[in-house]
Amino acid sequence: MDTQETIKQQVTTHPVVLYMKGTPQAPQCGFSAHAVKVLNACGVNNLFAVNVLAEPEFRQGIKEYSNWPTIPQLYINGEFIGGSDIVTEMYQSGELQKLLQEKKDQAAS
Amino acid sequence: MVTADSIKNHIETTLPCELVHVEGDDGFHFSAIIVSAEFRGKNMVQQHQMVYRALGDRMKQEIHALSMKTLTPEQWAESNRS
Repeated sequence: MDTQETIKQQVTTHPVVLYMKGTPQAPQCGFSAHAVKVLNACGVNNLFAVNVLAEPEFRQGIKEYSNWPTIPQLYINGEFIGGSDIVTEMYQSGELQKLLQEKKDQAAS
Repeated sequence: MVTADSIKNHIETTLPCELVHVEGDDGFHFSAIIVSAEFRGKNMVQQHQMVYRALGDRMKQEIHALSMKTLTPEQWAESNRS
C-alpha cells in the first residue's frame, strides 16, 4: 500500500486523527503540543496520533494528501479539519466541541 | 533572513487583499492577519490554502511557521466594531 492509501485508511478507520511532530505525551513542536491540548480539553479520549518525525514518509505524504503545507493536521471522520490556527479558532468559538460531539452521537446511533 | 515585510509584500502581490498585516522578527515564526474579498464563500481551510498558495514554495522552504487569521471585509468590519 502506498503512503496516500495508508493515510486514507488511517483517517477513515479512526474517528479522530492528528498528524503531529512528536507524540501526544511528548510533543516536539509548540503547534502540535497546542493541538493535543485543545483535543484533550474537548474530552477526546480516542485520539489516533501519527508522529511524522518517527514516520518520515508521512511528513511529506500528509502535506500532499490535504494540499496543506504544515503540521499538525487534524482529521475527524476522514475529513480534514485544519491546522493549528483553525483548530484553535474552532475551539474558541465552540465549533470544534460541537463537531466532535456530533460525530460521537453518529457513531453511537 | 525572511522578514515580516517580505511575506506581506509577497501575499499582497499574489492575492488581492484589502489588508495584510504580518508580524514576527525571528526569521522563522510569523503571524498574519489577512483581509480579502476573495475569502467570501470559502471555509477556513480554503482561505488558508489560498494564502499558502500565494506564498508558493516559500512556504515549503523558508517559512517555518505562519500562523494566520483570515477574514472577509465584512468579518473585519464586524471585528472592529466590537
